Amino acid sequence: MHNDLKRETMHKFLATKLFTYTLIIISLSACSMNRMMVSASLPMIEGGIEAMNQEPDLQLAEDSMPANISMLNGMIYLDPENIQLHTYAAQAYYGLSYGFNEDKDIERASGFYQRGLKHGLTALALSGLSDVKTITPDDLEQQLQKLNKDSVAALFWTASNWAKWIDLHRDTAEALIQLPRPTAMMQRVLELDESFYYGGAHMYFGVYYGSRAPMLGGDFDKSRQHFDKAREITDNKLLVADLLQAQYLSRQMFDREDFHQRLTNIIAAPEDLYPELTLLNQIAKRKARLLLTREDQWF
Amino acid sequence: MVLRSHTICIVHRLLQVVLAGLILLSCQAALAEDVYTLKFATLLPTGTSWTKLLDDWVKEVEQKSDGRIKFKMYSGGVMGDEPDVLRKIRKGQLHGGLFTGYGIGRVYSPARVLEMPFLFKSVEESDHVRESIMPDLEIGFRENGFELLGWPEVGFIHLFSTQPITSLDDIRNRRIWLWQGDPLGEAFFKAADIDPIPLSIMDVYTQLAAKHGSIDTVYTSTFGAIALQWYSKLKYATHIPLTNAIGGVIVSNHFYNKLPADLQQLLKTTGEKLGHDIRLRAREENLKSIGLLEANGIEFMFDWDDVDMDEMLTIRDAAAAYLEQTDYIPADMFNKTKKILTEYRTLEKDAVTNKPGKSPVSSDSQTGVQ
Repeated sequence: MHNDLKRETMHKFLATKLFTYTLIIISLSACSMNRMMVSASLPMIEGGIEAMNQEPDLQLAEDSMPANISMLNGMIYLDPENIQLHTYAAQAYYGLSYGFNEDKDIERASGFYQRGLKHGLTALALSGLSDVKTITPDDLEQQLQKLNKDSVAALFWTASNWAKWIDLHRDTAEALIQLPRPTAMMQRVLELDESFYYGGAHMYFGVYYGSRAPMLGGDFDKSRQHFDKAREITDNKLLVADLLQAQYLSRQMFDREDFHQRLTNIIAAPEDLYPELTLLNQIAKRKARLLLTREDQWF
Repeated sequence: MVLRSHTICIVHRLLQVVLAGLILLSCQAALAEDVYTLKFATLLPTGTSWTKLLDDWVKEVEQKSDGRIKFKMYSGGVMGDEPDVLRKIRKGQLHGGLFTGYGIGRVYSPARVLEMPFLFKSVEESDHVRESIMPDLEIGFRENGFELLGWPEVGFIHLFSTQPITSLDDIRNRRIWLWQGDPLGEAFFKAADIDPIPLSIMDVYTQLAAKHGSIDTVYTSTFGAIALQWYSKLKYATHIPLTNAIGGVIVSNHFYNKLPADLQQLLKTTGEKLGHDIRLRAREENLKSIGLLEANGIEFMFDWDDVDMDEMLTIRDAAAAYLEQTDYIPADMFNKTKKILTEYRTLEKDAVTNKPGKSPVSSDSQTGVQ
């Protein structure tokens, strides 16, 4: 009787243990399976981004973005520690806001930049750079020195979303005080890979120095040099460099002729100027038309 | 006879038509003269809270004048720095602008008596004295070619440094920036026996950011330290403000005197309100900025308890003497200002004595000076 009880207890114990192990194995497998699935899908996302960049139809691009972002969010749900996915999400939200919302719905655009920033900060935290919002700007500069080329994409898209969000809220001290942080990140991008995303960091500093009066920290020569460098990197085929130069530097310098010339050149540029980046050039053309409607008001 | 009568009738008709045409033409000319375009410039960047208040002012004036005053607004310094804008106003290319004390000093320098170092202990004192001397200021601006519409404010100016500042000697040992070409700053540093580094404001950030930059200490408002991004290169700030920096909304007499009386009145009343609104906004922002700066690693130190007040006042009076010598701020203006301030302080002191529990400096005072 005593032995039967002992055997039964032993069986129960073994069964429980077996069940627990099985659960762990299943969970681990599920996690691994998720990661494997996501990893297998990454080339598809990269291909999707390339295809999107070549899209000539703005409406089609705008219509397809929400589905792509939903898919990205789904994949992040399956693999929440995937740096690459968070970086893609930061890029996607930036594109959605800059390309399709900023000129018609600032509140929505601000929300998308905020979401892009959140993904960017997560990617950086997973890369070893945490507390970006709370450490002092000085400490941040030191921490950034520890990052290498692998973090350039996360740095670039985090800083891009962040600076744009600040720009949309520049009427508050709370937003303005954050500007040295994305600027320090972009500076690091410049040091690590100045040609990343078609010289995007140069365009950032072109705007940074060109959008303010010299008395308030602007520097027109520096701004021009950065825009020139961005154009050099893209063989003068990416129209956004001219768009930003007209929008910020020409306007700040009160140079109406330059403003008008650059924007009309953008509109007249061939549709197939840069096939790999047709979408961005189409967005630049649309924005150029919009800026030209403000010429009389600004000059 | 019939033919003659017919001819007279035709001539009469013709005259009527010509007359009607002339009347129409003169009406059109009168209508065209009735619209005045005010070209207005400011360094304030587009989209900031101050420029939003300027935009509201523009809308209000255009609406209340039934479109007889129209604005062409050039914000963000697109028309150059303040001396550039003043040159353009004097040439008639622009008509007005919002200026800081730096620009105001080039129009009517005695107004900068309100920026004398260590003069005001609170915004209430500053408000009282400004309102008391406003009639003098308005006359001064008018005699120098401008109508003063409103009086915004940059706010209290603090020292910011890479090193701790706990005494006047600490300040003397720092490589402190002087805004090149600012007579008030020059006089103050000379009086305080401080040897500053004169630099254009454009070079300040670069020098602060450089590893072996020529300066390690600057002065600005708390909001200015954020807006100019200087704070990111600094660690410490003084509680004690050097001064309360002024601002002014002005239009040229050349433009103002052409306006009918009702439009002049409209600009005066709305301009005064604009000055008031920006002043309040600046105070809110400066106050809020202290907390934001602290949260971002700036340590505030060196309060009024840490100084010998007599020494500070000696410095102020010595600065006033230098400014008097160059007629930048005449002695009678400084003495009048001090007299009004002393009377106000006496009245306030009496009021405190009569109302137990009330502080001589209200709780929203930015300086916290007692």
